[in-house]
Amino acid sequence: MFNLMLQLQMLLAALSAFLPLVPEKQRTRAGVFLEMAAQALSAGSSVAANLDDLAAKLASVRAEVEAMAAAGRAVTPEELDAALIRVRAASASFRAALEIAEAGAP
Amino acid sequence: MRHPLRALALGVALAAMPACSSLQLGETRLENPAAAARTPDQRAYALLHAYAAIVEEAADIVRDPAAPLSLKRALGQAERAATPAVETLQIAVTGYMRARADYDAATSADQPVLERAASALTIAANRLSEAIAAADRPIAELEALVRRR
Repeated sequence: MFNLMLQLQMLLAALSAFLPLVPEKQRTRAGVFLEMAAQALSAGSSVAANLDDLAAKLASVRAEVEAMAAAGRAVTPEELDAALIRVRAASASFRAALEIAEAGAP
Repeated sequence: MRHPLRALALGVALAAMPACSSLQLGETRLENPAAAARTPDQRAYALLHAYAAIVEEAADIVRDPAAPLSLKRALGQAERAATPAVETLQIAVTGYMRARADYDAATSADQPVLERAASALTIAANRLSEAIAAADRPIAELEALVRRR
């Protein structure tokens, strides 16, 4: 997904290079359109990066659980503790970030 | 040429078509780690890690100044709804693992002790199954919000 966004951004950059060829009257409109598309793509890239990150994390957990299941192995208390610590840390970090976002809200 | 811009746009679109057709749009596929589990404790472990990963991504969205406040608030609500279910799951999986360890230890003990350990394990397994079922939906809702962004 991230690669797709990158390719679209490159296509947009290439299109911008043709802007001087656009007739004078329509150049401003074309420029505004390209700028809007660039902004949308830049927001899209950040979303795609987040989603790719989540996909990688979930795939890593799945691989770990698949290995456990294939070996017929039970979850150890240490592994469970590590999972619980991760959940607590993620929750605490999320709530702190949300508090900051709410404090900065108009 | 009467319409150079249109001709250019058409040319670019035609040139980009083969490349676009080879792209798999929306190719990011989110795995379901719990689907790989074969035992209740593995399933709970997968759910806990998946939940943590989703909350980590949700935190990144909340930190992003470009993300709309309405989405941040919706994520906050979804997290508040999911967290109690995940806490219940934590308690249930801890209880299940303790009951299973007790049962394993009781296999060499006499019959009444073994029966008590077996029924305690059955109860713990039922509680864990209920906790997993209860946590599934709120976690999926939080994940859907993170995806939808």
